[in-house]
Amino acid sequence: MRKNLMVLFVILSITSWVEATEIKFGEVVDAKDTMKISTLLASPNDYVEKKVTVAGTIVGVCQKRGCWMNLASDAKFEKLRIKVRDGDMVFPMSAKGRQALATGVVKEIKLDVEQTRRYKSYLAKRLGEKTDIESITSGMSLYQISPTGVTILD
Amino acid sequence: MTKKRGIKWFRLNRELHRDIGYFCIGLTVVFAVSGIALNHVNDWNPNYVVERIERDIDFTNKLSDKVVNQKLLGLFVIDEPIKATYWESPKVYKIFFDAGGTLSVNFVHQQAIFEHVRPRAVFKQFNRLHLNEAKKGWIVFSDIYAGLLLFLSISALFMVKGKYSPWRFRRGWLVILGALVPAVYIFL
Repeated sequence: MRKNLMVLFVILSITSWVEATEIKFGEVVDAKDTMKISTLLASPNDYVEKKVTVAGTIVGVCQKRGCWMNLASDAKFEKLRIKVRDGDMVFPMSAKGRQALATGVVKEIKLDVEQTRRYKSYLAKRLGEKTDIESITSGMSLYQISPTGVTILD
Repeated sequence: MTKKRGIKWFRLNRELHRDIGYFCIGLTVVFAVSGIALNHVNDWNPNYVVERIERDIDFTNKLSDKVVNQKLLGLFVIDEPIKATYWESPKVYKIFFDAGGTLSVNFVHQQAIFEHVRPRAVFKQFNRLHLNEAKKGWIVFSDIYAGLLLFLSISALFMVKGKYSPWRFRRGWLVILGALVPAVYIFL
């Protein structure tokens, strides 16, 4: 009995450490219905709470928990965040620069004026730009995908 | 007439506690080490070692991507194929390399940073198990492990008889203290 348990432990350990070159999370991604990120971001409200599939180069990954990754848009200076609950999927930092497909529901995050000011201020600081915080008088929305399936290609 | 022999519960409990304890050593070490590592996620990166090299640059974003790439590769002496490039903004440019490196250039600060990421040995695998990233079969095994830990804690109450028994105050206060600590965090 003890020997069998030992064998089970070894098998489970090995199989769980093996990482395929193509990394898949969650459900199967339907690559046929892939839409452009630029199309989504051009009129994001049309897609809120709808299921979409997007593709792009991974240009950022959450360093601490791997709970989000940013996909570059086909348009310049745009990106879209793929965000999961901590632990649901863990995107590896080493995936930066690889292509990924993500299927999921588009979510809108509404920021009030104060949150918008903090966000814009943070963004400006990070990008080395200047921004007039006081001129911001209304809130904004951020859009991201809550994925049901992600494939990181080789 | 022979005396009827029953199951010796006390002895059986001690033997099971001993053997299951041996079985749980490996996984307990995994969970304990990764538990400490993940508790301090705000102080360090428990999964990756990130090496950073910073350099000042003396060119602008007016150059073509090809020239910018050449200048940067020369500046950092990088001999890796470029996997992808990305303009995050007109002033921020990124290059991703095959071997996992990322070069970020900020043309406002005239600074470039090369980051190379490599998995932290042992911790990456331990954390992966701890956070159940492996899923599927691991869920079953970690459920079994949790059940075994429950058995170890409950069977510990019946390991020792006499004055050092947890049912007497001489050692029983340790059991009470162990339960009080989480209770304090829950209710206060």
